[in-house]
Amino acid sequence: MERVARLKLILWMFVGLAAAVATARFLFGLGATTHLSDGTPWGLWVGFDVMGGVALAAGGFVVTATVYIFKLEKYHPIVRPAVLTAFLGYVAVVVGLLFDLGLPWNIWHMMIYWNPHSPLFEVGWCVMLYLTVLTMEFFPVAAEDFSALARARRFLVRFRIPLVIVGIALSTLHQSSLGSLFLIMPYRLFPLWYSPILPVLFFVSAVGLGLLMVILESHFTAYLYRRKPETHLMNPLGVAARWVLILYLVLRFGDLAVRGQLHGLLGGQWQVKLFWFEIVLMLAIPLILLFTPQFRERTSWQWVTAAIGTSGIVLNRIDVGGLADLSRGSRLYFPQWTEIVVSLGIVAAATLVFLVMIEHFKVWEERPADPDANPRKLPGFDKVGLTWLGTPVIAGRVKYSLAFVIAAGAGFLFLGNPRAASQGVEPTPVHRARGDVMYLKTGLVNHQKLPVKSADGEEGVLYLDADLTGYGVTFYHQREVDRNGGQKSCVLCHHMNMPRDRNSGCYECHRDMYLPTDSFRHDWHASPAGANLACVECHARGYARTSAHVKPCVDCHKHLIPSGATIKIKTYMAPSYVDAMHQLCIGCHARVALKENKPEVARCVECHKGKLNYADAQNLLYRRRALTGRLVVLPPAKANEAK
Amino acid sequence: MKAAILTDTTKCIGCSECVLACKKVNDLKSDVPRRWDTDDGLSARNWTSVMGEPDNKFVRKQCRHCLEPACVSACPVGAMHKTELGPVVYDSSKCIGCRYCMMACPFGVPRYEWASLVPYVRKCVLCYDTRLKQGRQPACTEVCPTKATIFGDRDELLAEAHRRLRASPGKYHNRVWGESEVGGTSVLYISDIDLSFLTYGEHFGDKPLTQTTRLAMEAVPFTFLGVGMAMTGLYWIIQRRMALQAEQAGGKSDGKTEPEE
Repeated sequence: MERVARLKLILWMFVGLAAAVATARFLFGLGATTHLSDGTPWGLWVGFDVMGGVALAAGGFVVTATVYIFKLEKYHPIVRPAVLTAFLGYVAVVVGLLFDLGLPWNIWHMMIYWNPHSPLFEVGWCVMLYLTVLTMEFFPVAAEDFSALARARRFLVRFRIPLVIVGIALSTLHQSSLGSLFLIMPYRLFPLWYSPILPVLFFVSAVGLGLLMVILESHFTAYLYRRKPETHLMNPLGVAARWVLILYLVLRFGDLAVRGQLHGLLGGQWQVKLFWFEIVLMLAIPLILLFTPQFRERTSWQWVTAAIGTSGIVLNRIDVGGLADLSRGSRLYFPQWTEIVVSLGIVAAATLVFLVMIEHFKVWEERPADPDANPRKLPGFDKVGLTWLGTPVIAGRVKYSLAFVIAAGAGFLFLGNPRAASQGVEPTPVHRARGDVMYLKTGLVNHQKLPVKSADGEEGVLYLDADLTGYGVTFYHQREVDRNGGQKSCVLCHHMNMPRDRNSGCYECHRDMYLPTDSFRHDWHASPAGANLACVECHARGYARTSAHVKPCVDCHKHLIPSGATIKIKTYMAPSYVDAMHQLCIGCHARVALKENKPEVARCVECHKGKLNYADAQNLLYRRRALTGRLVVLPPAKANEAK
Repeated sequence: MKAAILTDTTKCIGCSECVLACKKVNDLKSDVPRRWDTDDGLSARNWTSVMGEPDNKFVRKQCRHCLEPACVSACPVGAMHKTELGPVVYDSSKCIGCRYCMMACPFGVPRYEWASLVPYVRKCVLCYDTRLKQGRQPACTEVCPTKATIFGDRDELLAEAHRRLRASPGKYHNRVWGESEVGGTSVLYISDIDLSFLTYGEHFGDKPLTQTTRLAMEAVPFTFLGVGMAMTGLYWIIQRRMALQAEQAGGKSDGKTEPEE
């Protein structure tokens, strides 16, 4: 029983990881959680979750056909597990599809908007109908324990044969139609995979996969619950799978020969290597093992054969679904870890449901015990020794919940910042801009930065190449003024500057070319992991929560105010500017006052709102110099000369 | 009239006025490079692009509006639709987001809004709702300063293209791109450089891609009935044989040995 419990623990972890990614998928979109692109719009979620899932669930129709149509009664014991596997497989397919669809809430549109020319339309309908059929096939098992459902159960049992036949027909259709999906893209799919007989290839390999999957599932559950492995029952299935795979081999390579693609098998592209890898997994190794009796009849080798064969055929679906894509000019597709985690999580969830069903319904003749139904007793307190005996055991739901939560937490940790990823913008750092003044009307470029107005009075536009690519962006001064809050906002750029700069570099605020940035990190201030402030701690109560009704940064960040200062510190100023003011700024202020005809800019009271006598100011200056040690005090003699 | 566009790449100067006009008319916001972009410049916000090729050649890329569009035949809910006028248009209210149209398009034109939580497929619709319905030509052809890309009836434009090919032999590759490949497209090109880079395959056939799935789709009802009947027949035969065998063995059998489980 520990095997089951241990497996369940691992599965719950996968489900937890997938739950974290699922959250990101639905909160931030496909861009954040996949490596899909306009070049390869289908990837792992189509290739594995949908196409692989449908193929893996092929065991259902293969086994029902074997038992109910071909009357091979000895396989009766495996009908129920096979139907259950198929049912859960199809549910998993639908769940996987919900992840992959861009607008999953519209999935029902397929029922009302019809396009019978589309293979996908047919696949959708077949999957819907077959899932219904599978539900009806499995219902009698689930209903066995409930006497209230006895009538419905009897009804469905009576119609079993028609149901089985419809199920086989539907399976034939959509197993092959999954191949038809790709008939329409002869130029996109790599020639080693594209074939006019893709539907046939898909159907044949699905039958093979169904048989191998039955073997794998039987041995796996036998191992888990320590039952006797059904080796002798599985042996003929291996023989059948052998002939199916031989048929597939002939079809696949015969098709390549007919299409004249055999020379492509020797190419050096990575797709050719992928092709051979796939062939070795799905055909070469399983066929060798299945043709050798001492391998075929041994439990452990049946395991190996089934595991390798199923992964090979699933790899084939993934290749066709996105890996072996020939889209021109786009980057090669390889799934993001999030895609892989979601796929594994769905499989893990389906497996968990499978185990629960086995333990609580009559899927087998005898139900195995739920390993967590009677968890080991908690160790008792030994009164004599005054100590706990034994190690404490966390069991059952508590254990699984813990695994789930820890895995989900790890998932969120790995996800990083999905919002940034969802925009798909690669980090492009902004450098100190190099640029020229340009006149848009005439197209002239003025390499001298001033004057900004051309001879006929047109306002020049700064043309800045901030990411040093040779392509620039236009910088409209007025637009920046308007955006940042009118005239008061001059300081935003013109007081952040370093000595001898007339203005701040763009990169002071715009750290990335394409991501919206702000020198003030609002998110951090509001986040519980950051400053953890309530809105009203900065924004005035009862007013709109905008930058207009917010208290200045200095109200909290007192260190921004030099001690004893009387000038009004602007929100955005750094302390060192107090030093810079008297030495560098006044000149600029005077120039602006002249040029823009704004004399008030140059007045002392513009900055010094309070009273300030000369001695105090001198003291202040010297104290700051002593504190920072940054400014060198000029010797009096030299100062006099400079005057 | 079958609306069509003829682009003469020898006249294109790469000014990208068509791209800007397209953005204006279709209210497309400015774009930045994204991870999922391809190198042809198309994106969910760029429905047409001007591809710079070596030697100062410029080729405008946009939806080709095939006469038998693969995307229309592929869409499971019929969100893609070939209109009477000629453009292939998209109904976002039907879309389920499966992106099969993007896989099916041989020119790789449809784009997806990967960054959005409610993503739609985006591509050129030949200004169908905004201009074509009112009898005006698309914005891109209207603004083209050199008349490198012109709008008109498909037959007339084809004749014009062939007239240009005849008038200056040797100037152009002797073919009209879009005349017949994949069944013909509404957007035609004549060019002095090879334009096969506009497509996924170097050697496009003239067979419409819709033909490739037609056989498989037409076989669907017959497969269903055929498999169903074959299975019923097999069931009956095997059932009967087992019943006879049981009789021969002397056991009692009513022919219906359907086990309960």
